[in-house]
Amino acid sequence: MRIDWWTLGLQAINLLVLVWILSRFLFRPIARIVAERQAAADRILEEARAAKDKAEAAGQEAKLAADEAAAARSGMIAAATREADKEKETLLAAARAEAGRLRDMAHKEAERIRADEAARAGDWASRLAVDIAARLFERLPQDARIAGFIDGLADGLRQLPENTRGEFGADGEAIALKAPRALSAEEEGAIRTALSKALGRDATLAVTVDPGLIAGLEIETRHAAVHNSFRNDLDRIAATLTRDRNGNG
Amino acid sequence: MTGSPLVLEPLFMLGPVPVTRPVVTTWAIMVLLALFAFYLRGRLSREPGKLQSAAELVVEAIDHQVSEVVQRDPAPYRALVGTVFLFILVANWSSLVPGNEPPTAALETDAALALVVLAATVWFGIRAQGLRGYFATFAQPSWAMIPLNLIEQITRAFSMIVRLFGNIMSGVFVIGIVLSLAGLLVPIPLMALDLLTGAVQAYIFAILSCVFIGAAVNGEESTPPKARPEREPT
Repeated sequence: MRIDWWTLGLQAINLLVLVWILSRFLFRPIARIVAERQAAADRILEEARAAKDKAEAAGQEAKLAADEAAAARSGMIAAATREADKEKETLLAAARAEAGRLRDMAHKEAERIRADEAARAGDWASRLAVDIAARLFERLPQDARIAGFIDGLADGLRQLPENTRGEFGADGEAIALKAPRALSAEEEGAIRTALSKALGRDATLAVTVDPGLIAGLEIETRHAAVHNSFRNDLDRIAATLTRDRNGNG
Repeated sequence: MTGSPLVLEPLFMLGPVPVTRPVVTTWAIMVLLALFAFYLRGRLSREPGKLQSAAELVVEAIDHQVSEVVQRDPAPYRALVGTVFLFILVANWSSLVPGNEPPTAALETDAALALVVLAATVWFGIRAQGLRGYFATFAQPSWAMIPLNLIEQITRAFSMIVRLFGNIMSGVFVIGIVLSLAGLLVPIPLMALDLLTGAVQAYIFAILSCVFIGAAVNGEESTPPKARPEREPT
């Protein structure tokens, strides 16, 4: 076996030439196109990463904005709540005051109505009682309506002060006498006698009929009067009852 | 066969230079690879077709292997390692052409390959470490190791030659013997095995080239352990 040095040299040259050819026309172009594609992919990835970062930043900003908006909303809600509470307290106080005022007014009105009602009821009861009494007195005999009151009239006149009593029939003036019906001559004479006796001088009478007296007699001047009739008694009773009721109420 | 099958007879003469059959076959392979390169180069695009994708796959696989072994940017070493791999692969598989004998079955071709790799190893080592730095690696771990390291450079190149030559030449011989004894179809399984052997040998030669270049570029001590085969394949 021997080495063919020419072949060895030629093959070495061939290999170097082939290295140059493949390097220039195969490996470099392919490596370049792979690198370009890789660079494009890296660029796309970088753009995607930048877009992602941008989106994340935008998301972060949006979150911050949302947080700020939430905080502002919470603050506004708290302020509005405080304002509403304050306004509510004010309105409640005003409403309480108004309600108290209305309640007082209602109480007063109710009291007044109740008092009016009570007064009306009392008046009505008094009038009813008086009417009942008047109807009862109407059953008295006609004679009793006059004769039974002559002495009382004279006693009433006698109990008046002297100067007041002197006004009755002074200067020959007739004493104004009210009677529930027209008087008979005997009755008028008895009355005149009793009054003359009480006055200590003769008296003349000017009789007027007032059925409202029911029974009894009344005399009066411009400054004094003697009432001795059922009407007067019933009015006094009614006034007393009303005064008592108001005093108790 | 009247002479030794290991002796090359010139097919013709180019002046004083005898041109043997491995050289002619190598030229044919060069033309084939060059035409493929020209064809592919004219059709490269950002959106690759099947052929470009396959070529990119091969180139990226070469880059990956170089990066793994050399632990550096594969660009400066891609052309040499890739050319060695492609040439040996195509040369080994050229045995499929009837009547053709692969040029790697000739000792001169394998020796040329190993010598180019050896020269490239020295060149890349000096370029990476400087002249003093590269030759200083021969004195590692001591000056006494200089003869052994020099011998190692020769012996490992010689081992590459013998490995490739032995595997390919033996395959050619076996197929020739079986073909002459058994007939037409019997050698087919052996030829298929020969294809596998050819691919494996191309890969081994390229990887060993990477290992030697990596050792020269990074220094013997800094060569990655996984890139240093504990025992060289046969």
